Amino acid sequence: MESDWEEKKIQALYSELKSADEQAAPHFGRVWNRAHQGQRRIRAFNPAFVAATALLVCALVSLAVWSRYTQQTQPAVAVNNPPPATVNTPPASVAMTTPISNDQLPPVQKRRNIKPSLQTRLSAQRNTLVVTNQKLTRDAKAITSWQSPTASLLSSPSDDIYSSFPQLNQSATDLKSFLPARSN
Amino acid sequence: MDSIDISELKDELEKLHSASFGWALSCCRRDHAEAEEVLQTVYLKIFEGKARYRGEASLKTWLFAVIRKTAIGEYRKRVLRNLVFLGSGEKPSEGPAVTEAPTTAFEKSETQKLFRVALAKLPPRQREALHLVFYQDLSLREAADVMGISIGSARQHYERGKKHLREWLSETEVEYGIGLGRKENPGAV
Repeated sequence: MESDWEEKKIQALYSELKSADEQAAPHFGRVWNRAHQGQRRIRAFNPAFVAATALLVCALVSLAVWSRYTQQTQPAVAVNNPPPATVNTPPASVAMTTPISNDQLPPVQKRRNIKPSLQTRLSAQRNTLVVTNQKLTRDAKAITSWQSPTASLLSSPSDDIYSSFPQLNQSATDLKSFLPARSN
Repeated sequence: MDSIDISELKDELEKLHSASFGWALSCCRRDHAEAEEVLQTVYLKIFEGKARYRGEASLKTWLFAVIRKTAIGEYRKRVLRNLVFLGSGEKPSEGPAVTEAPTTAFEKSETQKLFRVALAKLPPRQREALHLVFYQDLSLREAADVMGISIGSARQHYERGKKHLREWLSETEVEYGIGLGRKENPGAV
């Protein structure tokens, strides 16, 4: 009973609040028209759209500049590093030890119809690979022939004694020679 | 959205306008200017097709859900804007000036003032649940749809809110001596 009364009271308070809000509510037409005007304003100038467009234009311009720059610099590189005449016939020692085989190198002469700029680029790339292979070979040789600077300190005059130990299958008479000599 | 749809929708929105404004007020902590702005944004969203009614729920439920989301979004924006202004050492914008609603004789009544204070003290979910049920005459299922929660959670918020309001009612009677309309039991004498 008590809770029913309280619920009815809450309901009544809300109804009063509702009627007050209805009186204070703005006219629908006004809010609707303002929304309309807002839409027109958004269509005319949308900051997000303008920012996105500006960003896109900047990206396109920088891409164009970058591509132009790379086109200008690549021929210069090709001129500075002309492909050697012996590119296709590396030395036998290099060919034996190089980790990258000749087949893996870009086939320059197989494709005769490649554009000159691409050809020079491939030649330069191939030249770089050959130089890298030669360096690797030199390094491998240096590693195999390397000796520690303190290796001589490990050798001693008694090394011969250790190397002349009796064998297990030697006879007893032969083994006597290893025993110390007794005076009595 | 073509013009026929817009005109039909406009008629429906006009019918729901005062209820929508009441709900917007509740979502905006009874700030009239903010509620009006939220409602305007909602209409704009509908106009632009950002909020589209697909007929999955009743128009009222859908509209109230849009209003609620928009109000939350606007509130977050405002808080963020104020934080940015505080961080940059500038004076935060006050936002739209809080305009007082036309003061009616009813609004001046002490009970109603206290009731508003009590509502403001309630947790937002409880306030929303109570508003949707008592003010908007929605069922708990519809209230849950508007709030984007399960019906069980909506029921829990509703019951807890009602309990808080009951406590407030009894406290008000004791502290302020305001008769809330309770009739004396004639059989008690």
